[in-house]
Amino acid sequence: MKTSKFNRSTCYKIVSVIVIVIFAIAFFFPLYWIITGSFKTRAAINSTTPQWWPHEWVLDNYDKLFSKQQAPLWQFHIPFTGIEFTGPIVPGAIRWLINTVFMSVMSMILTCITAAMAGYALAKKRFVGRKLVFTLIVCAMALPKQVILIPLLREMSALNLYNTMWAVILPIVGWPFGVFLMKQFSEGIPGEMMEAAKIDGASEWKTFCTIVLPMVKPGIGALAIFTFINSWNEYFMQLIMLSSTENLTISLGIAKLQAENATDFGLIMAGASLAAIPIIVIFLIFQKYFTKGITMGAVKG
Amino acid sequence: MEKKNPMSKALVRRETLAGYSFMLPSLVFFVGFVIYPMIMCIYTGFFDSTMNREDIFIGISNYKELFQDSIFLGALKNTVIIVVVSVPVTCIFSLWVSSVIYNLTGPICSAFRVIFYLPVVTGSVAVTVVWRWMFNNYYGIFNYIGNKTGVLDRNINWLGDEKYALACIIIILLTTSVGQPIVLYVSALNNVDQSLVEAAEVDGATKFQCFWKIKWPQIMPTTLYILVITTINSFQCFALIQLLTSGGPNHSTDTIMYYIYYNAFKLYRYGYGNAMGVILAIIIAVLSALQFKMAKSE
Amino acid sequence: MKYRKIAALTLSLIMAVSVAACGSSSDTQKNADDNAATPSTESNNDAEPAGGDSAESTDITLWTYPIGNWGDSATVDGLISNFETAHPDINVTVEYLDYTNGDDQINTAIEGGQAPDIVLEGPERLVANWGAKGLMVDLADLWTDDAKEAIYDSVENACQDANGVFYEYPLCMTAHTMAINRDMFEAADALQYLDEETRTWTTENFQKAVKAVYDSGQTDVGAVYCSGQGGDQGTRALVNNLYGGTFTNAEHTEYTAGSDENIKALELLNSMEGIKFDSSIAGGDEINLFCNGTLGMAFCWNVAQEKGNADAINFDVLPMAFPTESGDPQLCGGIWGFGIFDNGDEAKISAAKTFIDFMANDETQAVESVKASSYWPVKDLGNIYSDDELMTEYSVFVPYMGDYYQVVGGWAEARTAWWNMLQQIGSGTDVKTAVDEFVTTANAAAAAAQ
Repeated sequence: MKTSKFNRSTCYKIVSVIVIVIFAIAFFFPLYWIITGSFKTRAAINSTTPQWWPHEWVLDNYDKLFSKQQAPLWQFHIPFTGIEFTGPIVPGAIRWLINTVFMSVMSMILTCITAAMAGYALAKKRFVGRKLVFTLIVCAMALPKQVILIPLLREMSALNLYNTMWAVILPIVGWPFGVFLMKQFSEGIPGEMMEAAKIDGASEWKTFCTIVLPMVKPGIGALAIFTFINSWNEYFMQLIMLSSTENLTISLGIAKLQAENATDFGLIMAGASLAAIPIIVIFLIFQKYFTKGITMGAVKG
Repeated sequence: MEKKNPMSKALVRRETLAGYSFMLPSLVFFVGFVIYPMIMCIYTGFFDSTMNREDIFIGISNYKELFQDSIFLGALKNTVIIVVVSVPVTCIFSLWVSSVIYNLTGPICSAFRVIFYLPVVTGSVAVTVVWRWMFNNYYGIFNYIGNKTGVLDRNINWLGDEKYALACIIIILLTTSVGQPIVLYVSALNNVDQSLVEAAEVDGATKFQCFWKIKWPQIMPTTLYILVITTINSFQCFALIQLLTSGGPNHSTDTIMYYIYYNAFKLYRYGYGNAMGVILAIIIAVLSALQFKMAKSE
Repeated sequence: MKYRKIAALTLSLIMAVSVAACGSSSDTQKNADDNAATPSTESNNDAEPAGGDSAESTDITLWTYPIGNWGDSATVDGLISNFETAHPDINVTVEYLDYTNGDDQINTAIEGGQAPDIVLEGPERLVANWGAKGLMVDLADLWTDDAKEAIYDSVENACQDANGVFYEYPLCMTAHTMAINRDMFEAADALQYLDEETRTWTTENFQKAVKAVYDSGQTDVGAVYCSGQGGDQGTRALVNNLYGGTFTNAEHTEYTAGSDENIKALELLNSMEGIKFDSSIAGGDEINLFCNGTLGMAFCWNVAQEKGNADAINFDVLPMAFPTESGDPQLCGGIWGFGIFDNGDEAKISAAKTFIDFMANDETQAVESVKASSYWPVKDLGNIYSDDELMTEYSVFVPYMGDYYQVVGGWAEARTAWWNMLQQIGSGTDVKTAVDEFVTTANAAAAAAQ
């Protein structure tokens, strides 16, 4: 009796692992296909019998990708002075990567700063209208951005931000998930610590910096990772807000490549590899923090 | 939450001032780029608004039209299908995977976690373009495998056939959404109080009972969180549709999100698109309020 | 401590502001003052381009659709540098659009207040869509009497709206044809059904030919592509020609695609083996599938496709007119030229006009501009393709050019409805029902546009 039960559960386990391995292969396959596909010849890609492993490795697709459109590596503009710094001309795809990094890092920094402050206020300050603000935040959290696309586009146009990275960054920062997350983290701060600081005569700001911030650090880390990935993979806002070659992001760039060369899958895969590999490398390096960050967010969320 | 004595007026004022000072940076963004556009959205929903022409006030005509617009209703239905299918499947699949891999040895478990998380970091656009190729009617890999193994007797136009297009979209959506739940469940299952499990096993509880009576309640908060994020995720699915099918064939993969875009930039009907946005916002607000209530009561 | 934190925060804010312009091109900064949501209406006649630096140079943007090599940056860079040498005071920035998302891109840019200055496309967009919406500049200055004299009448008619306002200054034109894989047809013994001399075939022979190719083992002979509007002139021309239907009435005021001839044609296509309605591809995909030998024929074809895809094609391409019952094909024409978006900045508008004048009228440049498109000029420039065999081969189609009906009102909405209709038919909706719905939608849009 006992042994048969043991066997059954082992059996279940083995079968499950095998099935999961199959799933894992299926999950890994698109990525494998992107990367190998980017090195295949046009004939290999269009053949009706797929080449599981490229018979012939070529760089044509990357050549094509990098020769397609050119843009300055950076453009730096000091407001009100008319002074502008323009970087050397590089393939558009490189510029798109730079833009994407700029956008993701900027969104991440701004979101973390604003959300940490607001989350603390919501958790620890008993101010008038707190309930209302919090309700609004909860309701808006799940709101897809498509809902407000037309007003947002007009707003960005009126603010003169259309076709700049800021048109993408600002709505990401405005998205209140971060505030919600940081509120949950801040709630765990013991009130006595802040009372003590207050008695010591510390200002609000000092209390925040010396007591609150260190305590919610893990939360900020989680939020940073979350925001970074989300903005890296954001597509919709970019599609609406960015138009010129030098302002595209890598997602948008590949989408554009696809529209222009719909069946030149080699070229598209080269673009996709370029988009995927940096973030995957970042992910593999910081893997531990990613998992920790995600879990942390969930525990508190 | 700590109970306090009624605060003095001065204290209230001080707290309010401090509260809003800390809220200010965030509120600027939140009000500026979420609340204000939302209000404008509601406002323009009452107008016939199009490109380069004065808006014309038409009351609730947009809303009346919406509920007679079979494409909108179809899009609503598709959105609901995507959410209703993908959310439970994501949860169950990731729970199952996690329950199998969480007590494997460290490196193997994390290898699985990484692999299932890869499509999430790869990015929706990169993932979408490769799926588009794999689903291709003429030299896609699915048709090849199908034909080789004899499952299919002719090429199927996966994305161009009403019968399959939405299912394809959902499958791709699933691959990009189970990564995070698996990570979460693995850590939740590892945190389950082992002594309770052992005690139950000594009492002769089956594996299933063990899971259902002891582990499940303990991972309930994680489940709720996963439900919330997966729902948000499924509602936001846009890139997939725009890049793969553009809502076709015959509007069978239109979601409200895509249909708003379609109305705005293909048909120049801004007011109508906004009215749709309002309806969607209401649905989502109600849903998230419900989920939040549920989470609160747990 | 406190001050350090504040200083750090201030610093980061300053940093944020100072890179605020990172990612915005210089001209977007300048023209943005006065063109919020409505770029047109009140154009600012005082002409106060920002900064006063326009006296030295004006920046204009040109957005082009892939019209021959006008979609290829290597070619266009050469053309632009010719212009900038001749007019060093004007800088041109080029963006390349595609037919899948190009319209969405321009439409969002218009709504974002940053429509391009010049766009290179045909009357169906410049005149019937953006022109009709009041977004374009009247190009009367460019349409001098000499120009009207030189440019062919049919082109001239297409470039103006019903009130005679010109929104396009044309550069080149062609006839859209279809093409077959000659090797494939030969192998299937299907060449007997077509006339290689006149490049025409009858509807009946078309059916026989498709059947022969299909029976020879080629399951995908042709595809009625309909994932979007890209290349829809091909599907329209195919449907109209088969039984002599028309797309609009002669006055271009009403859509007549619901006529019995068209319904019959759609029913025929829907019933033919070897031809399927494929809503996973658009015109551009169809061309690629044809070029790599997957499809036996292409409905979205013209000379630029054969030139542009020469590397990919390893068979003999035989361009054909669309099959007809009467033997009198009516090919869909393409007329491409420049239009100017009214961004309210006189300096830019006049610079844009200078650009157009140079590209289309300058004696040496005009030939080069037209050749870049690999289409034919819209006026007599002499035989610019005298030593080009391929162009000579395709010139057989010029006499088959039909009515340029794409200027009918509500065109943008109608073409969206068209591919939706094809998708419906492909999904099994009754042809008549789908067509009726199309005609209702399209005519409503036409009525609204008037």
